[in-house]
Formats: sequence, C-alpha cells, structure tokens
Amino acid sequence: MIRIERRLEQPRWLDVAVPLGSILVAFAVMTVVLLATGHAPGHTFWRLLVTGFGSMFALNSTLVSATPLIFTGLCAAVAFRMQLFNIGGEGQLYMGAILGAAAGIALGNASSFLSVTAMIGAGIVGGAAFALIPGFLRAYLNTNEIITSLMLNYVAALVIDYLIFDSLSYWRDTSTPSAKVFPQGKILPDAATWPVLHVGALELPFGLVLGVAVAVFIWVLYSRTRFGFEVHVIGDSPRAANYAGMRTRRKILAVMALSGAIAGLGGASQDGDFRHTLDPRGLTAAGYGYAGIVIAALARYNPFSVCLIAFLLGGLQNAGYALQGADFPSGLVGVLQGLILFCVLGGELLLRYRFTFDRRSRRVEAAA
Amino acid sequence: MILASGINNSIVVVVLASAVVYGTPLLYAALGELLTERSGVLNLGVEGMMLVGAVLGFWAVQKTGSLPAAFAVAALSGAALGLLQAFLVVTLRANQIVSGLALTIFAGAAGLSSYLGNDLNVADQPARHQFSAFLPHGWQTAPFVGPILFDQSALVYISWLLVIAVALYLSRTRPGLNLRAVGEAPDAADAMGINVSAYRYVHTVIGGAFAGVGGAVFTLWITPQWVDGITGGAGWIAIALVIFAFWRPVLCLVGAYFFGAFSGIPFTFQARGILTGIPPELFQSLPYVMTIVVLVVVSTAGVRRRLGAPAALGRPYAREER
Amino acid sequence: MAAAVELRNITKRFPGVVANDGVDFEAAEGEVHALLGENGAGKSTLSNILTGLYHPDDGQILLYGERRVFGSPRDALDAGIGMVHQHFRLVPPFTVAENVILGDERGEGKRFLVHPRHIERRVAELGERYRIAVDPRARVWQLSLGEQQRVEILKALYREARILILDEPTAVLTPQEAGSLFETLRVMAHEGRTVIFISHKLNEVAAVSDRVTVLRGGKTVATLATRDTTARSLASLMVGREVAEVERTPREEWLGDVILEVSAVSALGDRGSPALRGVSLTLRSGEILGIAGVAGNGQRELAEVVTGMRPPTQGTVTIDGKRLRPGDARAAIRAHISHVPEDRLHTGVAPSLTIASNSVLKAYRSSRFAWGPLLRLRAIRAHASQLIRHYDVRGGAPELPARRLSGGNLQKIVLGREFDGQPHVLVVASPTRGLDVAAIETVHTQLRKAASGGVGVLLISEDLDEILALSDRIAVMYEGEIVAELDAGAATLDEIGLLMAGGKADAEPAP
Repeated sequence: MIRIERRLEQPRWLDVAVPLGSILVAFAVMTVVLLATGHAPGHTFWRLLVTGFGSMFALNSTLVSATPLIFTGLCAAVAFRMQLFNIGGEGQLYMGAILGAAAGIALGNASSFLSVTAMIGAGIVGGAAFALIPGFLRAYLNTNEIITSLMLNYVAALVIDYLIFDSLSYWRDTSTPSAKVFPQGKILPDAATWPVLHVGALELPFGLVLGVAVAVFIWVLYSRTRFGFEVHVIGDSPRAANYAGMRTRRKILAVMALSGAIAGLGGASQDGDFRHTLDPRGLTAAGYGYAGIVIAALARYNPFSVCLIAFLLGGLQNAGYALQGADFPSGLVGVLQGLILFCVLGGELLLRYRFTFDRRSRRVEAAA
Repeated sequence: MILASGINNSIVVVVLASAVVYGTPLLYAALGELLTERSGVLNLGVEGMMLVGAVLGFWAVQKTGSLPAAFAVAALSGAALGLLQAFLVVTLRANQIVSGLALTIFAGAAGLSSYLGNDLNVADQPARHQFSAFLPHGWQTAPFVGPILFDQSALVYISWLLVIAVALYLSRTRPGLNLRAVGEAPDAADAMGINVSAYRYVHTVIGGAFAGVGGAVFTLWITPQWVDGITGGAGWIAIALVIFAFWRPVLCLVGAYFFGAFSGIPFTFQARGILTGIPPELFQSLPYVMTIVVLVVVSTAGVRRRLGAPAALGRPYAREER
Repeated sequence: MAAAVELRNITKRFPGVVANDGVDFEAAEGEVHALLGENGAGKSTLSNILTGLYHPDDGQILLYGERRVFGSPRDALDAGIGMVHQHFRLVPPFTVAENVILGDERGEGKRFLVHPRHIERRVAELGERYRIAVDPRARVWQLSLGEQQRVEILKALYREARILILDEPTAVLTPQEAGSLFETLRVMAHEGRTVIFISHKLNEVAAVSDRVTVLRGGKTVATLATRDTTARSLASLMVGREVAEVERTPREEWLGDVILEVSAVSALGDRGSPALRGVSLTLRSGEILGIAGVAGNGQRELAEVVTGMRPPTQGTVTIDGKRLRPGDARAAIRAHISHVPEDRLHTGVAPSLTIASNSVLKAYRSSRFAWGPLLRLRAIRAHASQLIRHYDVRGGAPELPARRLSGGNLQKIVLGREFDGQPHVLVVASPTRGLDVAAIETVHTQLRKAASGGVGVLLISEDLDEILALSDRIAVMYEGEIVAELDAGAATLDEIGLLMAGGKADAEPAP
C-alpha cells in the first residue's frame, strides 16, 4: 500500500522539478483530449508556441494579452495571501474600466498627462469601491466573500451592458445615426490614449509597466512591512492574529480595497492602452478576472511569478485567439489552463508530502 | 374553465410556475452540493459541472434522440468531474477552495464546456427532443395549481423524489448516519471503522452527477439549445442555496423555488410587457443581488456560527498527521 | 492463562521521530494493566497501533495467542478491542445512541434503516449495569466531559469489547469521578475483560492497576506487579533518573498591591451561549492565583476576557488601576498583560510562519523591530536566535516554520516571548500539558521566578497537582462561575474535586 507522510525537508530541486513535471503532465493529458476529439496534438502545440512566442509580432501581441492578466493575477494573489478569496476581480475590472473611461471622456483633449493620471485614479477608485462591498460584508457581517464577490461579477456585467446597450448613458456614442442603432461606447479622446514604450522592437504598453511596478510594490509591502506581516499572520491563523492584537476587520477592508484597486487599474488600462472605448462585449468575453485566479494559484501568490505566468498564459491566450477557427477549437486554451492548474495543484502535494510504497506491511500480511 | 384560465393567466400563477421551472436546475445542483458538503467536501466546481452536464446532455439528445440517455450522459459527465474533484481534495488533499475554483474555470464558460460545444458542433441548433409536460391536460389547466404543479416536465417530479430520497437517506438510513458522522467528526467516524475517504469520494461523485443533471435541465427543457455559459451562475447560486437551507434538503426545495422566481421574473415581465420603463438589467440582476442579501441575512441574524454546517466542511482528513 | 494482548517488537516511525522502538507488551485476561510513561514516551502511538489507526512499521500483534494484522480500525473493533481516546472520538451533534451504533455492523447494525429506540434501551441497560448511565437521547455536545467519556466506554461495551484501552482517562475528571471510573474498570476486569489504562500519573496507576508496564523514549523499560512498586521506583523508571519529590513549597515572598481586578464579568462562549457568569477576582503583584476546574467551565473564556481577546457582555477588567478597553487585545498587550494560551499551535503561534516571525508576534510594532511601516528583518532574526539560545529550543532555527517544533519546544518559544514582554500580569493556561518531566520542571521554575519578581500570575490548569504545587490561592470554576476561593495551604484535593463537580464545600459559605 502507499503511505503519505509530511515532508520534513523540501529538497530544493523539487521546487523546480515538480511544477515543470506538472506542466508536462498537463500537456500529456491535453494530448489525450486532443486525440480523443480528433486533433493532431503535436501540430496543435507547435502552432500555439509559434503563434504565441515565435516572432516579434507574436511577442508584442502576447504582451498585450499579458497586461490585464498581470493586474487580475495580482488582484487575486494579494487577497488569497490572507485567505481572503476575492474572486470578484472580473467585476472590479469592469468597474475600473467604467470609471476610467468616464475620466478619459470628461477631461477631453486638454492634457495627456492629466488624462492618464485621472484615468489611473478613477480605475483604482472604481475597483476598490466595488471590492469594498464584499469586503465590508465579510469584515462586519461575516458573510462568505467567495459567493458575494462572484455574484457581483454578474451584477457588474449587467451594469456595463446597461450603460452601452440599454441606455443613453454618458459612455454611449450617440453622435451618428448608425451608433444609435448599433450601440457602442464613445471613443476616448487622443489625450486619453496611454503611451507605448519602445524597447528595441518590443512595444511595452504603459499598463504593462504599471503592472510590473505594482508587483514590485506588492512584494515590498508583503515581505518588508508591518502591514504584510499582519496579512501573513491573519492568513495563517486568524486566532493567532486576534491573540496578537491585530485589527483583522480593518485589514480585511484594506486588503479587499487593494485587491480591487489593482483589478480596477487593469480595467483603466484596458480603456487607455487597448480598447479606447468602454467595450462591454470585449471585456465580458475575455474573462480576465477568472484567468487571474488561475495565475495567482500557479504563482503561489508570489507577485513576480504572477508577472511571469501572466506572460506565459498571455502567450497561450493570444495564440488561441489568433488561431481560433474551424480547425482550431475554441475553449482549448481554457481547458489547457485548467489542466495545468490541476496538475500543479496535485504536484503541490509532492512538495509537501512524501509517498512511500510500504512493502513491509505487505510482507506482514503475506506472513499472516 | 373561463375562471380557471383567468386565474392561470394571472401574474401570480405565472411567476410561481416559472419559479418551479427556473428553480429546478438550482434544486438538482443544490441537492448534490448538499450531499457533497455533508461529507465534509466543499465543492466550488458546481458551475463547471453544470455546464459540462448541459453541453454533453444536449449532445447526447442530438446524437441518440433519447431523453433518458441524455439524462444519463449529463449525470455521468458531472460524476466524472466529481471524481476529479474528489481525487484532488480527498487523495491529494489539495486546498478545496482553490481546486473548486480551478474546476469551474477548467470546465466553465471559457473552458471544457465551450470546447466541447464547439467541437461537437452543437451550438445554435434547436434540440431534437426536449422534456415537456405530460400529465393529463385537465390537470395542467386546473385552476391555480395546474400551471404551477402539473404543467411541468418529468424533471420536476424526479427532483421532488430526489428531495424526499435525500432527506430520508440523511435522517433514517445507516449510510446517511455514517455520512453525517464523516462530515461532522471524521476522526470519530474513522475510529469506528467508517471509511472516510470512500464516503467523501462517493458523495462528491454523486454531487457531481446531480450538478450535471441540473445543467442539462437548461439544455433539455428550459431553453432547449446550447449556448456558452448557459447556466449564468446557477451553480454559484446553488452553493449559496445550501447555506440558506442550513444543509437541509427540504429547505433546499423552498430556497430553489424562491431563487427560481427571481430568475424567471425578467422573462415573465418582458413577455408580458410589465414595468417596461425599468431597465431589464435591473430584473436580471435580481437573483444575484438577492443571493447576496439572503446570504447576509443568514450570516448575521441570530444564526451565527453557521447553523447546521458540517463541522469538518472544507478540511482534509489525514489520520497519521501529527 | 494466555495473554489477551501481546505486542512483540513494535516499531513505528514518524517523520523525524521514532515513536515506538521495538516495544514489547502483554496484558492478561481479567486484569487492569497500566501503561505508564511520560508525555512523548510513545503510549498513545502504541494504543493507536493496537486499535488499527496506525500501521506499525515492524512487529507483531497477538490476541489470545493468535497473530493479527489490523488494516483499519474496523479490524481492531471486530477483534474485540475498544478504545477511549484522550480526545474523544464522538460526533457532537449526534445523540448518545447514534454515537453508540455508529459504524456497528452486527445485529441491529446490519439494517439499512436506523431504529434508535432499540439501541436506546440497550444503552440505558448497559449504563445502569456498569454505573455509567447517560441519557441515550441526549446530544453529545450538551454533555459534560465526564459524561462524554461514559459514552465512549458505552460504545466499547455495546460492541462487546473484550479488551478496553483508556488513554489518560482522568484528565477530564474530578478526583471523585476518577474514583468511580476506577470502580467501573474493576468490575469490567472482574468479568474477564482486559483493561489497559494509559497514564503518566503514578497515584492513579497505584490505585487501579494489577500490573504496570513502563515506557520511556519509545521503549519498554519494565513490566511489574503494581503491589511490588512504589511511587518513587515507578517515577525513576519513567523518567530514567531519580526525581525529587514534588512538594509544595510555601512562598514567603512579600505580596504587592492588587494588580489585576476582574469584576462581575460575563461573556458568551464560541457557540453564543453564556460561558462566564459574573466572575470577580483580584490578583496581587507577586501572587500565583490558580484557577481549577474541569475543562470547559469558562476558564478559556476568562483568560480571553482578561487578555482582551473576547469582549465581555458585562463587567470590567482593571489592570494597574486602569480600566482595560473591553475586547481590545492590543490594549491588553500595551498594559503588559502576557498570555500563554491553551492552544499553542493555532493561537500562541501562527504555525506556518517562521520562528523569527513568531518571536515578534506581538512586538513587531515596537521601534525595536520596525522602522516606521518597515520591518527590521535583521533585528527580528537576531532576536529569534537569542530566544532560541536562551530558552534552549531544540531543533529551532529562525527560518523554520513554527509548526515543525515539538510541543515542548513550541511552548518554550511562547513562554520565552511572553516573559520577554516584561509582563505585569501573566495569564498562563495549561502551561505544561504534553510536556515531559524535565520541561515541566523548567516551566514551573520560570513561573515561580516570575512571581518572585513581582509579576501577578493567573494560572489556569486542569491538572490539580500543578495547581496545588504552584498556587498561593486557588479559585474553583464551575459552569462559568467562581464557586469558591481557597487558601492553597489549607486546600485538599478532595475538597477542590467536590467543588469542581459543582458541590459546595462544607467549610466554605457560598459566595
């Protein structure tokens, strides 16, 4: 029989070998799925790789896909660290996008600096405020934040739909007759377009740079400050936190606000960097918030790993999007993401526990 | 007869009838989740399981033309995902919250269900067969109760039988007693020779099967076609429902129809042109907002300490851990 | 007469420890056989092997001369072994009868449908016969710990266990209850059953057993007829060296002013029902006030109210003449109240965090360890190293997660941290539970030293010997009230035991 024991020491090489092995297993399972549904696995994986990372164009597209994932990944990681399961990154991102777009539209073409700054601020406020709803309910009324934050995702999706499709709101373009028939958002003024940084042939969206800066900030905050210390204690043992006189409720509010603010910033970046309008269909179809949860779990809530994994999954998504068509099944990238996550979760066990085949007890049984 | 049709056309009856219709998928999923949670496993993958059950159930009916076969395929596909979840959280002792979320993301709207829907080419087709009302016409048109209770498909009556079965199973049978012990005090159950892992596996798989059927209720009856994300968060509402129901099957039924009513209202009001001045999104958000409201009420008002929650919910059990 | 139970050369390893190292043991039919050993000697592991919960890495189990292999607890139950665990294995929301039939698959248990009535009658009969009656329809969570123990024994009797193992059964009983338990055990042995009685208390072993096997460091040291032993000889076998008789040493030190005053405090427990009902007490600087009582009579809640972890519904806590803000643990820390909680692993430390982090669990805000919002990580690490050295924490390193430490070493970390905070009042709950004799001596010395240095010590313990050995005054708690306050010099074990069970002392007028 197999015995499972907690490991006392975690060999260093396992830290690398296990995640890599898990990813290989995920691809192996995916191979089976592809074969079972009549696709050629080798060809499919190769095309994913080339389309995601194989050229400068591919890399630049991948950076575009990775940008929102960094924000939503950090959003989840920041909260999950404290065992606060904010899965409302999706809705918080929409709210950031709504307020960000409003700021961009309102400031017109006056000053690019002012517009970009205001959009960032508005995005932060939108996401943080929306996240504070489940945060407040959790902190003061002890309501499960998983379900409330998720329900608010659906509400946020309805809000953004309403603003563009079912009302003549501030965000909706009503300037032309065709825009009245086919609803769409107002195009943001040029001043509200975020800059692109060129490094050689690489094009770094401003949002990406901001996202990495946020990751650095989170790393410092969580590993070097009293705030981070309290987050770790509360996440590990709320009773110990109470014992040590930590203000758990305030911390829940602060962490939810921070988490939502990051997602909201991601929403503003969608307006300023890429879409240049409030785009309900595009945002709701992308599912950045849910992908962020996968990324945070894969990164084990480490902010730098979040950036790296966001880049890799961004490449996958970008490739999946580019290749989508008759011979390339949609949903494949989602399935692959899920499989990787499952395998890494299972692999975690190899890190924490040791498996031994217990031959001795079998011998005893044979003798008896 | 005229009188009856008058009553039966009244808004009250129509809303109540639609409550039963839209409550049915919630009821299946919540009953399944209840069984799973009673064993101590929190399964947040319900939404994903429902979607896969929905798409494969629909595929089966297109392929075979048989509704019982479709029902079975939906149950089996949900059960398969339940097995995966059980393996992760019981055998591998993965974090139940993270693995449940992973399951929903993997199987959910942008994952496996969408992949299957696309790959099996079932999107945007009308169903070849669908569940429908089958009781005598006279019953269906009986005043008041007819449309609510008798103008319903077999899926509704099966769900009622399941509520009774689950309630009796939990309160009156030996496996039910063992199941409750496993969810409340796995160490006690283990010491008395009950196989904790086996109970958790079996009930996570059964929970998955129920969720699969719950998803198929959409594609085989309510809106007989497949579209991505057709369940629209019903799996999450079902999880909340188990909390509102204090882990009691009969209260699940009440709760499911309560939320079914909110899910049905937007369609009813739209069809009847009621309150057209109010944006439809407001009605559409009702089930979600009400879920939050009821959850808040339950978690504060006098029922602190999660009345009825299995004590070991969400905790892996390992005997030799020291 | 064949041995009812024989264990040969049993070995069981856990990651990092050998809990049983070639243990031999045998017990006869019709005897009460004590298994004596310090905490950590391997008694519980051995009993868990005998009940099929653990699989031995090596060795054999023989029952009535026949070789047995237990793949699971079910096999051991079927072989007629019943066990009363130290932490009861009961399902709290179930009734007594439901707990008794749980997992049973003979007779009544073969039926798919459960009929509680038949079982209730049988449980009532058994209870009467062995004088351990409990209401079969009562829910277990409503029962006292003593009654819950009876349910555990009834479970074994209902299953017709021929061999009954009890792991530290007196820990939750008053001395009187323990006496009546011993009578029940004698009756069972008289009927030809084998009773294995696990304990680390010498007087209990002498009172109840026919023979005794001593374990030390996972090995069998000796098996002796109890009448051939003395407390002193058993003690040295158990510890492996001569042990000084633990005697209460009356302290002559000067007692200072009142430093802590708890007046008319009421509070709710975790389930929302009243746990404290108008508790008042005073503590002087330099005094050790022992709080005696059976577990679950409000002691934990009292400690939590005093340390600000639990808001009282009524009443006040005053320290150094200043009223403590209710339910504010940070204020209590600032007022120099230190707290060694009952639950070390999840309250006293954050188990997955490093020892370094845990060493500043309360002090991380001070300028010594923080510079504005930033932490001084190097100072924290140095502090942890110093704590580890000073309190002799074996196997400790600043970067190691706290949960890796054994119970005794973890307790040293908690004690060290709490002593370091220059306390005025020290609240300690069950400070020596699970520790071995050497560690217990160290802890007791430290507590005495703290008191002589002017600290007021509130000592909460279920171990009456500990209370009697250390306290200057003893308060007895029962159902959330302080039912009596006694002078430690004059108090007797019997008197305290009666009070703990809710009986009023003859000499003491009700407060």
